[in-house]
Amino acid sequence: MNPLELTLGIMTAVGGFVDISQLVFSGQAGSMFGYSLIWAFGISTIGIMVYGEMCGRVAAVAHQPLFSLMRHRLGLKLGLVTLIASFLSTLVTTAAEIGGLGMILNHLTGASYLLMCVVSTLVLMASMWILPFKWIERTYGLLGLFMIVFIVALVVIHPPWSKIASGFVPSVPHGLSAKQLFNYSYFVVAIFSAVMFPYEAFFYSSGGIEEQWGPKDLLTNRVTSIVGMGLGSLLSIAILALAALLFAPANVAPQIPGSVALQTAIPLGKLGLVMALLGMLFAVAGAAVETCMANAYSVSQFFGWEWGRHKKPWEAPRFTIAWIIVMLLALAIVMTGVEVMSLVGYAVVFSIVILPLSYLPLMLLANDKNYMRGYANKWLAKILGWLFFVIVTIAAIAAIPLYVLTAGGQG
Amino acid sequence: MLRRPLLLLLFLTGCSKGPEADLEYISSARSLAAEWALVNEQASEGHLTSAYVKTMRQSVREQLKTNAKSLTQPQSDYGSEIAAVLREPDDADPAALRAHASKLKQIEDHLESA
Repeated sequence: MNPLELTLGIMTAVGGFVDISQLVFSGQAGSMFGYSLIWAFGISTIGIMVYGEMCGRVAAVAHQPLFSLMRHRLGLKLGLVTLIASFLSTLVTTAAEIGGLGMILNHLTGASYLLMCVVSTLVLMASMWILPFKWIERTYGLLGLFMIVFIVALVVIHPPWSKIASGFVPSVPHGLSAKQLFNYSYFVVAIFSAVMFPYEAFFYSSGGIEEQWGPKDLLTNRVTSIVGMGLGSLLSIAILALAALLFAPANVAPQIPGSVALQTAIPLGKLGLVMALLGMLFAVAGAAVETCMANAYSVSQFFGWEWGRHKKPWEAPRFTIAWIIVMLLALAIVMTGVEVMSLVGYAVVFSIVILPLSYLPLMLLANDKNYMRGYANKWLAKILGWLFFVIVTIAAIAAIPLYVLTAGGQG
Repeated sequence: MLRRPLLLLLFLTGCSKGPEADLEYISSARSLAAEWALVNEQASEGHLTSAYVKTMRQSVREQLKTNAKSLTQPQSDYGSEIAAVLREPDDADPAALRAHASKLKQIEDHLESA
């Protein structure tokens, strides 16, 4: 197994896991509720590992990308509704990532936020045009590993490891008022949504096909799903724990994505700050590329167009036009002046609403022995798949009322 | 089936005014004042780059202004406190900023328990 093949999983995890919403929610969750939301990261990480592995297996065995499946399994009408909902929620997510990039570059260079949004969009588009798929994933995946500085910062401040470990046991903190309980529930739902964003599955599944996976790659798929997602989760938990230790006692619930970088500056100084900002920059850039390409993949696969970055841009013209339009639309949203934090809230809420419809066709196909032959889901994958389907359905029903009741976790 | 309760929820949320509706802005302002104190403290210890300090202070100030404008009762004690935070200079003493954050926290706790 080529270690470089692991980068697909690492990019999906570091870029997809630790995107702008993950940075914000991890920091806020730690400062508001201490270690008590770590379990939500733990459980949702198992969920994305289960579905990620299933996506890769279906791509390797049936060579079917997710949106082609949706059209066949959900039918044209429901498939189209899912496509539109998914397109809109992923577009808002891309806009949030571009806004996040503008903010991080603003903190790094001092240049204007909107100018940095435009510059980062142009650089992303150039990299997507020039680089082949493998180099896109390697560039953002490996540079995003600067984020490991958050784990270093956590180790340096000698945290109470036993308390962090106890956070993995699902529990509700004692003595919460009704309002705080709603806020806590909102954060649980938001963490599940941010960890299990549907675009991660679209990107991972299409990436497997781009890399021409076959049954011989199933071990690589399993290892990348577990290691990649596990690493992403570890980074989020480190940010949460740092926020519980450094922000909560100071009454800070980070309101600006750049505040999270302070967590590394306190123990490690300027070097820690710059490494954190660079890590955030590449991780969020990776997420922007993933979300943009996920939307172009979805539309192309649904309508049966030529797609893929393994082809030259002009060999799949409608796919190329699709990702260019998605990127420009996302930039246009940011240029209206809408707040990045609002975009993050909308992205998380609307993504979880479509999560059940995104994962249902995948599970049905992964269970189907006609398509998957001896690689169909075994008992453990079936039980976990349906269990997480029930969990995300409950979260999807609760998401919008909780968002309204808590003013997006601020109320 | 779910439309009625959802509409009622949206209606009630949209209609609320006064301290209860302002709670989210008070809470946000408290956190921003505390963040500002942390930035100034770390800057004085040489832990931050000048670009980061400048842009964080700008962001904090802009968000505080947005919070102040969003209040339904700007003449209240919390409105005055947020205005006082905004009057602080960029390189304000962290202790002074923390005092504002504590005051806002007290108001927030009082309103939450009411």
